[in-house]
Amino acid sequence: MKESLLDILRCPLDKHELELENATYADTDGDTDAAEVVSGELVCTDCGERYPIDDGIPNLLPPDMREESPA
Amino acid sequence: MEEDDRATPSTVRDTYDRIASHFATTREYAWPEVESFIETTDALADRTVPATSATRPIVGLDLGCGNCRHAELLAATDAVDRVLGLDISRNLLETARERARTNEFSVALCQGDAAALPLATDAITVGVYVATLHHLPTRELRRRSLDELGRVLRPDGRALVSGWSTAHDRFDSDAVAETGFDTTVEWTLPGGETIDRFYHIYSPPEFERDLERSALDLCEWELSSGNCYAVVAGTRE
Repeated sequence: MKESLLDILRCPLDKHELELENATYADTDGDTDAAEVVSGELVCTDCGERYPIDDGIPNLLPPDMREESPA
Repeated sequence: MEEDDRATPSTVRDTYDRIASHFATTREYAWPEVESFIETTDALADRTVPATSATRPIVGLDLGCGNCRHAELLAATDAVDRVLGLDISRNLLETARERARTNEFSVALCQGDAAALPLATDAITVGVYVATLHHLPTRELRRRSLDELGRVLRPDGRALVSGWSTAHDRFDSDAVAETGFDTTVEWTLPGGETIDRFYHIYSPPEFERDLERSALDLCEWELSSGNCYAVVAGTRE
């Protein structure tokens, strides 16, 4: 995901803004607008709930729906 | 009837995670109703003139995007600046990523729940919510998801909502009944294994009623190919 997506992403529980933490980026030659966040966490600025970014795709399922699927 | 212990949002997610790659290969083409909506919607009219900063960027949402065949249409629309594909199934999102790569279109992907949208209020100008609402396993969740779409959709934005209906030839049922029914429809994997998928089949009056009672503004609705289709707008609080 691109960092600019944070403009519209919100916590699914309370709809507050999210902050990106522990981000790693794909190599884009220093072009920060194009930078792809490959992994990290989106943290709700209100309730503190943490949502993982896994291989570039944020998982913003409510926490009780986030458990792993059976294989 | 209201609650079905067997179907929960998580089991719906697991079902689509299991059938994702085969399912996506059978969903190559966009629906004509969706093409027509995107081509003609008021929400994108007059967007060729520079919009104000308050209305930019124009964000399109494919809610329950699956392989993003409809996000692809939105991405090909000049008036749309950015497209988001949201689905409950991670494996379906992987098919979307592959399709975007192959067909060379740009879409942001996000895993999320249609009944608890991880999106800002009034973030969306044009939305497509087709063939997804009927997979939400309870009426409460279906109505909550309509309210959520009403929250994230701008009042001058428009979305197309569809659900399978009792008017479909497949169902031997009364199309003017007050409410529809819950059922499961088998998906057959290439090896012959079958997997049940939950559906709520809407009666047309029920579809209209649920939309009218939601936080969406119902602009118009129709029956087409056994599905109910509604054009809706967001509402001002």
